[in-house]
Amino acid sequence: MKIIIAGAGEVGTHLAKLLSREEQDIILIDNDEEKLKELDANYNLMTVVGNPTAFKTLAQAQVHQADLFIAVMPFETRNIIACTIASKLGAKKTLARVDNYEYLLPKNKAFFDSIGVNELIYPEKLAAEEVITALRHTWTRNWFELCNGELIVLSVKLHENAQILNKKLYELTTADSQFHIAAIKRLHETIIPRGNDEIKVGDIAYFTTTPNHIREIQQLSGESETEIHKIMIMGGSRIAIRISNYAPGDMAIKLIESDRQKSYRLAEYMHDVIIIQGDGRNVDLLKEEGIRDMDAFIALTDSSETNILACLTAKELGVKKTIAEVENLQFISTAERLNIGNIINKKLLAASRIFQLLLDEDSSNAKCLALSDAEVVELVAKEGSKITKAPVKDLKLPADLTIGGLVRDGHGMIVTGNTHIQPNDHVVIFCLDTALHKIDKLFN
Amino acid sequence: MPKINFRVILKFIGLLLCLEAAFMLIPYLVALIYDEGDAMAFLLSILITAGTGGLLFYFTRNDRNEVGKRESYLIVTSIWFFFTLFGMLPFCLMPNPLSIADAFFETVSGLTTTGASIVPDVEALPHGILFWRSFTQFIGGMGIILLTIAILPILNHQGGLILFNSEVTGISHEKLKPKIGETSKKLWSVYVSLITILTLLLCLGPMTPFDAICHAFGAMATGGFSTKQASLNHWDSAYVDYVITIFTFIAGINFALVYRAITGDVKRLFSNEETRWYTFIVVGATLVVTAGLYVTGQNSSLEETLRVSLAQVVTVITSTGYTIGDYVAWGPFFTTVFLLLMFFGACAGSTCGGAKIDRLVVLAKNTRNEFYRVIHPNAILPVRVNGKAISHEVVSKILAFILVYVMVLIAGSTILTALGLSIEEAFGSTLSCLSNIGPGAGATGPTGNYAFIPDVGKWLLSFIMLIGRLELFTVLILFTRYFWKNS
Repeated sequence: MKIIIAGAGEVGTHLAKLLSREEQDIILIDNDEEKLKELDANYNLMTVVGNPTAFKTLAQAQVHQADLFIAVMPFETRNIIACTIASKLGAKKTLARVDNYEYLLPKNKAFFDSIGVNELIYPEKLAAEEVITALRHTWTRNWFELCNGELIVLSVKLHENAQILNKKLYELTTADSQFHIAAIKRLHETIIPRGNDEIKVGDIAYFTTTPNHIREIQQLSGESETEIHKIMIMGGSRIAIRISNYAPGDMAIKLIESDRQKSYRLAEYMHDVIIIQGDGRNVDLLKEEGIRDMDAFIALTDSSETNILACLTAKELGVKKTIAEVENLQFISTAERLNIGNIINKKLLAASRIFQLLLDEDSSNAKCLALSDAEVVELVAKEGSKITKAPVKDLKLPADLTIGGLVRDGHGMIVTGNTHIQPNDHVVIFCLDTALHKIDKLFN
Repeated sequence: MPKINFRVILKFIGLLLCLEAAFMLIPYLVALIYDEGDAMAFLLSILITAGTGGLLFYFTRNDRNEVGKRESYLIVTSIWFFFTLFGMLPFCLMPNPLSIADAFFETVSGLTTTGASIVPDVEALPHGILFWRSFTQFIGGMGIILLTIAILPILNHQGGLILFNSEVTGISHEKLKPKIGETSKKLWSVYVSLITILTLLLCLGPMTPFDAICHAFGAMATGGFSTKQASLNHWDSAYVDYVITIFTFIAGINFALVYRAITGDVKRLFSNEETRWYTFIVVGATLVVTAGLYVTGQNSSLEETLRVSLAQVVTVITSTGYTIGDYVAWGPFFTTVFLLLMFFGACAGSTCGGAKIDRLVVLAKNTRNEFYRVIHPNAILPVRVNGKAISHEVVSKILAFILVYVMVLIAGSTILTALGLSIEEAFGSTLSCLSNIGPGAGATGPTGNYAFIPDVGKWLLSFIMLIGRLELFTVLILFTRYFWKNS
């Protein structure tokens, strides 16, 4: 498949690197030669220097052969124009990153289709949704529902009180067990565990399970659920505005923003939110505004370092749930080891959303969750594909890939060695980045 | 010492040695057909090469193909070295074997497409050996790594790309397709189709099919090994001269541009500055040589004089080095003209050696700008090539390259004079080897060979050919302190 990415910003670069490892032809366009030079010399992709909204540049990148055109430049107007031109020049499908919530409304879909923009993504909205999910399931790090909630993928950081520590995985699996540990994140690395592996303190474990067995996992991991009613947000970013829109009525939000002008503007958008002007790093201010009574603290400033430190402070002051926005990809694995609850990264969210659209092209229905070095993918097994040929234990699956669970006729179930996958099953696959291309062979 | 992943280096060496063993099957078949007693040498070579390569690969097969900067330089240099080391086995095992130094020299000369020979009587060699000698040029012509990337999917990833960048010549490396495996396949398809066409054309002339194939390898890879002692003079045919000249000229153009021209984008080929300079230099040098031949009264008919001049100019500038005329016999002025052509060679991204015309263009323009700045010190004058401004870093990289090129040249010549060669021969052979041409000056000129040079000199020249082929830095970086030091 030929994919053209316009804009070598952080989303574009991350996506290009990720996709270049697979059997995709990637062409990356940007104005800045310096940015492209390093990527061109070190990654298996092609770069074109030039303005992505210029006909000449797009023709040079042979946009007429493109299966997908992704515009992720900093300005939404340029993204939309680039997509319009690209689609008129013959790109099969286009996607633009936008900053305006209004564009995403279903009633405007027809308009964007008519100007050649097929898909829109708004990373801030994705981030806000992620935050809301995290607030609903406070004891997990990740929560991912598949097929209308029939199958759930969740991750938990395991502390000393967890019951499943230092046990071999095969001891945990009994005949009627209804969960599957599909991946473990330990230090900087994600592991696909086998029966002989053990879970250690500080690991983040990824479970797949059905909705009825959530409590079981919660008990095993020694976590308890907190109901969230009071939230403090630090940093009046666009994500904060979206959160205030999506938050259920029983959640009261207090927002701390350091810029006075901006605080006034925010007050216009956010009616039910109490806006405090001040520096969120100031502990006295936090105490004064009642941080001790808060159920959750969300740090969304532009600085990843500030967000991480602020969350640590909030934890010390007794806030149960903290969420930090960490935009530097390099910080994520370090931040995960610290005692911060959830980490939000717009780039990973945007990239995984785009990735999902890509898989959609090949398979009828697919979902995808991006972790920093692994992916969770939901795919439909096709008639006659390799994965339906034998029970799972006889498939000789690669070591960097595992099947988490499946949904058959609308019912979620856990996959064991004896499960024989049938055509049209929705299958949840965990795989490390190195194994992405192997999925295709199994399912097609 | 920094952490260098030696296992991955061994893995690549193992893999490529297996490939080399597979290549040796072809001369083995040739040797079986002609049955001149050299088949055993090939069989043994294949077994040794495949055995070593297979073992290396077997023990490292599960290692990840992660290649960093240091590994990539080590892999490229050591692969060229080991290819030579195992490629010389047939020469050492054949009925009248060559000495180790001679065999190494001959193999490295073939792989780097230099075409300098130490064999006193080429026609006495069995056909299998002659074929292998020509075939090494084919393998090395586009680059061993490039070939591997094109045929083995194992290298079609990030690591393969980094290796590709350490092997391909020229300032910048143009990609034809997003995937490096695809780019390599396109380049190789151009290379192989040109060789096929050339072979067919040569078969129509006075050559036997065997000679035609061997000379097609020599011409398109710009190597210059011939199957006859008198090289192209053996046939004394205008047809052969013209066909070989046209194809070596094409071999001197950037293959990416040739590919684009074949697939319809002819404009880009002719509007490219490097191609223009190349054509201009070839035409200019031909006219100078023809005029010189007339002035010194060495001319024959106008057609023949022009043809011989053109053929000799093209064969030298593209670093092929077939013998059509003999510039050494023509006189010292002609030797100087041809040594000048040797220095820069032809275009980057081709199979040619030398410092490459793209560097010459940048240097010339930069020098012009410096003169202009004497009068207008505040002028902002970027060096423009093909309408694009070249950054200062690139210009300074090129200046450093030329400096190192000259330093290697001087050092090599000095050592050779210490071994008893005349200044002319020492300088000519070093330049010829560094630029991968073949014929040098004096006794190493077009009609001579390198057999008389002492063994130390042969090892030195072998090393110089290798650093010339890999454009200096890839090899020389291994001899710097910071490569091995962690800082």
